[in-house]
Formats: sequence, structure tokens, C-alpha cells
Amino acid sequence: MDYAWDFGAINRYWSVLWNGLVVTFQLAGISLLAGLALGLFVGMMRFAKSPVLTWPAAVYIEVFRNSPVLVQLVWFYYAFPVLIDTTMSAFMAAVLALSFNTSAFSAELFRGGIQSIDTGQWEAGRALGMRGPTLMRRIILPQAIRRMIPPLTGRAIELTKMTALASTIAVPELLYQGKLINAVTFRPIETYTVVAVIYLVLLWSGTLLVDRVERRLGRSDAWNR
Amino acid sequence: MESVTPVLTLEGIHKTFGGHHVLKGIDLEIRTGQTVVIIGASGSGKSTLLRCINFLEHPDAGRVLLAGEPIGRTVRGRSGERLVVHERELSEVRRRVGMVFQHFNLFPHMTAVQNVMEGPTSVLRLSREEAHARAHENLAKVGLSDKADQYPSRLSGGQQQRVAIARALAMQPDVMLFDEPTSALDPELVGEVLLVMRDLSVEGMTMVVVTHEMGFAFAAADHVIFLHEGLVHEEGSPEAVLREPQRERTRTFLRGLEHL
Amino acid sequence: MNGTTWDFSVVWENLPMLARGLVGSLQITFVALLFGLLLGLLVAPLRMSALRSLRMPANVYINIFRATPPLVLLFWFFYAFPILIGVRFRPYEAAVVTLSLQSGAFFAEVFRAGIQSVERGQWEASRALGMGYLRLMRRIILPQAFKRMVLAFFERAIELFKTTTLVSTIAFADLLYEATVLVNQTFRPLEIYTAVAAIYILVITAASVGVRGLERRMARSDA
Repeated sequence: MDYAWDFGAINRYWSVLWNGLVVTFQLAGISLLAGLALGLFVGMMRFAKSPVLTWPAAVYIEVFRNSPVLVQLVWFYYAFPVLIDTTMSAFMAAVLALSFNTSAFSAELFRGGIQSIDTGQWEAGRALGMRGPTLMRRIILPQAIRRMIPPLTGRAIELTKMTALASTIAVPELLYQGKLINAVTFRPIETYTVVAVIYLVLLWSGTLLVDRVERRLGRSDAWNR
Repeated sequence: MESVTPVLTLEGIHKTFGGHHVLKGIDLEIRTGQTVVIIGASGSGKSTLLRCINFLEHPDAGRVLLAGEPIGRTVRGRSGERLVVHERELSEVRRRVGMVFQHFNLFPHMTAVQNVMEGPTSVLRLSREEAHARAHENLAKVGLSDKADQYPSRLSGGQQQRVAIARALAMQPDVMLFDEPTSALDPELVGEVLLVMRDLSVEGMTMVVVTHEMGFAFAAADHVIFLHEGLVHEEGSPEAVLREPQRERTRTFLRGLEHL
Repeated sequence: MNGTTWDFSVVWENLPMLARGLVGSLQITFVALLFGLLLGLLVAPLRMSALRSLRMPANVYINIFRATPPLVLLFWFFYAFPILIGVRFRPYEAAVVTLSLQSGAFFAEVFRAGIQSVERGQWEASRALGMGYLRLMRRIILPQAFKRMVLAFFERAIELFKTTTLVSTIAFADLLYEATVLVNQTFRPLEIYTAVAAIYILVITAASVGVRGLERRMARSDA
């Protein structure tokens, strides 16, 4: 390789990258919380008895799972404001798109988690005289949530990867900052390599964390079945 | 000590599962302090019958009476009579009727003592101190005081089932239902559970037990019912039904069990 | 909504343009799928090899391409890599290279997981019968692993189709790119982007339904 690598050129722009990283975390954090909350709600709807609730929830889930994230981002930034006749910041549009996207995936997760609880648990609770809300709160949800933590952390990592797409609609997250630096320094190799490495370190350590969490959950009090 | 008041009465209980008529009209009367053992082949409906008592299965027809009071209302609809029970009433019923399951169904995210405390705190609304005291009492009763702070995963099958019995007892029920309580246990663990059940019976607890354990039936039962294809085929004292069965099917069934 | 007038005529009039974009998306999907499959087949045995010198590079490759956001990889291969090796990349080439490498990493994992999901007992039984490695792979392990892999393969293929939207950012003429061009021409983002979203949803839902049907058929004839 006879290219002269020169990381010095982008050395002065670490603060720019840092600002981008902060926005990445903000975007991911807010979208995750909103997405999980919404996902729980939609998951409960999906799991309800009446078709009036389950059908819209099912459609919602299919729409947001079966459309590409970038399309969702672009739609919320360019199309949605026209629909509701308002202007919207790019960050807001990104939060909306990523939250709805996350909610659709986590709704399935919640449903799966609750349905994975053995029916015997429901029966034992009822046999003691417990009613619906108490049964959910004391017996079902504590067990279900524990099972959902590994796939949910997986979702969090996927979400963090998706934040890079927000650069397309000019949200000043990490990749966008990279683009800015490249525009100034004309050194795409160093710039994009550094950006890639930062993401790599961030997400790889994230997956290692997930593995550790999974193993610890599996170990302590090791519930059977 | 038996009394004459029937604590539990079943009248004309029918239950169908997707086309299959499992219970074809069961009448039963259980008096306070009695231990009733129900035997029968798989598919005879014995578990279903038990589960109809605390409405984990909802009877399609017939009535269930607790201490003479019918549970729910019989509603006359287009397709005949239906039993309608409200959830609140069910909750009341289940406080008075305890159940022990074949697969224990302990709450895995709680320790033994927490499992036993759960009913009293969540349902009976006792204070934590009261519930705790009661839980320890019942764990002692089943011989597991030293395992109070263990999680179910660390207990043997027999120990788990005994905790399950303590959990049901903590509700101070009028009737205890046992759905094949030892069928899922390794043979060497069966005895410790049957011992606890026998003690309960001797102390005067009203019990309805579905089981294959004939030894228990002989030792503890006041009344044995043989269920065949959804109907009471033969019933009587343990000596009568198990030693000198009058009817052919009963004899065939018991002979089959001898191979176990 | 408040006074917004929808006018889908701009979509109907430009359907051929959008259709070309869809074809572009599908084209990239199939090509990347093919290369990714071959790459995955090559890398998977390395990943499972007993030799550390083979396993490590395979692991590094897989982890890099699974942990880095695909858009970052795409930018790197379009803007950075060509300079590094002194070649000019058109959007098509950069897109195919990136998506093939990424798919390869995922497929390698699919293959590994598929093979390792076959119970130990199968290996031991075959060995006990005296079968050699190649034969037991061919006759016992792979047929069972295959079913599980086929489903994962199709799910990955659908994911890949969704990921192709990224190539619009480096000006490759896929469906999203053509949509954006159209929006810049006609200033009707609501109708155009909604219609394009609907097209994606239709295609992907149809494919998902197909996969779920396949899953049910396979479950019925369970190995």
C-alpha cells in the first residue's frame, strides 16, 4: 500500500467527533426508551383478547418491521411534516422513526416473553385466588422481563447501528460529523477509518456486555424451566 | 372426626373439550374432614373433574356448591343452561379451595418462604410479618424449615412439592385438591410427599386426591371413587373398591396397576 | 389531516422510473446474496476450524462486519478504499462489495449455527458406526442442518433487501434513490415517499409471508 496515511490531519477534529458521539448516544437513548415503552403498549394490544385491539397492533408491527429504516427516516423527515403541516427538526424526525421502528420489534419480544411463561404459573397464581393484574405484576412479568433482557439488549445494539443512518437527514451524529471532517480535510481514508473504528469499539464492547449479562442472568438462582 | 355437613357438592357436572365429552354428569358429595381419592385411567376425566371444583376448568353444565352455597349463577340461554361465574367470586372460591399441582408450579423467582407468603400477602392482604410467621409455620409442618430461603431450582422434586403444599395450606383453605401430586416425582421422593398428605388427612383436612398411589388410598382415604369414561363407575370405602371391586372394569383397571 | 391534499398522480405518471429503481434494488440484492453465500460457505469452516490461525481472522472478519453500521462500511468502501488501492469505484461496485462482505459475515454465522445446532448425539452415533468425517457431514449432519439454515438464509435475504436502501446515499439508482430524484423534481415528498414505503412494505411482507409458510411446511415434515 503506497498511500501515505496521515492521521495528524484529522487530529484537531476529535472534539467534532466527540460531539457526534454524544448525539449518537442521545438519539439511541431516547429512541430506545420511547421505543420500549411504546413496544410494551403495542405488545399488550397484540396480546389482547379482542380483535379490535389485536388487528391494528398487528398491522402496525408489520408496517414498521417490513419497511427499511432509511425509508422510515426519510419519510418522517420529508413526508410527515407535510402531512401534519408543521416543520420538524431532523433530530425529532430521527427519534420518531427509530422509536416506532424499535417499538415494532420489541412488541414481538414482549409478546414472546410473556407467552414463554409456563401455563402452570398462571394456574398456580389463579389457584391461590390471584386476579389478572396481581398475577401479572407478581408472577408473570418478573419472570418474563428477565427472559426478555438478552434480546432487548440485542435490540439496543441494533438501534445504535441504525443511528448512523440519521446522517442521511443531516442529524449531527457521529457519521455525519465524519462527513463534515472529510469535506474539510479531503482525507476520507483516515476519517472514515477512524469513524468505523469508533463504532466498532462501541458496538463490539456492547455485544460483549450483552454476553456477560446473559451469562450472569443464566447463573444466579438459575430458575429451572 | 367427620361431620355431616357436605363442604363440597357437585351436581351433574359436564365438560366437553372440542367435541370430546370428557365429563358426562358427575354427582359428588364431600363431607368435612373426609379424604376422597379419585382413581381412573388417563382420559377418564379425573383431573378435569378436580379442576372443575376450583374452576380452572369451567363446567359446561351442572353446579358446584361450597358449604351448600352454589358458585355462580345458572343462566338460561339459547343453547340451554350455562354456569356464569364472576372473577371476584372465583377469587373468593379459590381462597377456600387450595390446589397442589402435578408439576408443583412453584414461582421460580421467589424463595420457598416467599412462595408460601405470596398468597397471604397478595390475596389475603396480610401484613408481611403475619404472612412470614404463617409461612414458617407451614414450612415447618411439611418439614422444610431449613430450606426456607432456597430457590425452587435448588430443591428436589419432593421438596418442591412439599413447598407447594405449604403454599396452599398457608391460605387456610376449607378443602385441599391434589392433582396427581406424586406422578412427576422420582420413586424415592414419593414417600416424603405422601407422608405429609397422610398427616394432613389425619389432622382432619378435607382432601380430594387424584392419584395412582393405592398405598395412600388404603392408608388415608375415607372414600374412593373410580372414574371411567367421564362417569362415576364405582365408589365406596377403600376396602370395598380396592380389595373387592364389584364391577368388571374396576377389576381390570386395578389389575393393570399391579404391574407398576 | 388538516387541509393536505393528496395527489398521487405524480406517482402514477412516474411509475416506470420507480419500477426501474425497484429492479435496481432487487439486482443488488441478488448479486450481494450470491457473493455473500459463497463467502459465507468459505468462511464458516474457517470459523469452526481447530486451528487458531484460521479461526482468528475469520472471527475478526465476522465481528467487524456485524458490529459496524452498514452505512459506515459503505462510505468506507466508496470513498476510502478506492484511494487506498488506486482504483475508481462506481456506486454499483462499492455497493456490491460492501453488501457481499456484510452478507458473507452473517451467512458464515448462519452456517456455523446451523451445523452446531445438530445434536452431539448425531455426531457420536455416526462416529460409532465408523463413518468418516466427510461422509457423516454429507449424509447425517448437513441434511439436518440444512433445514435450519434455509429459513435463516431467507430471513437474511429479506434483511439484505432492506439494507439495499443505503446505496441510495452513494447515488446508486435503487428505488429510494429514484424516489428522492423524483421528489426533488416534483416537490411532492408526501405522496412519493408514502408510495415508495408502501412498495417496500408490500414486497417485504409478501416475502415474509412466504418464509413463514415455508417454516410451517418444514415444521410439518420435521427431521
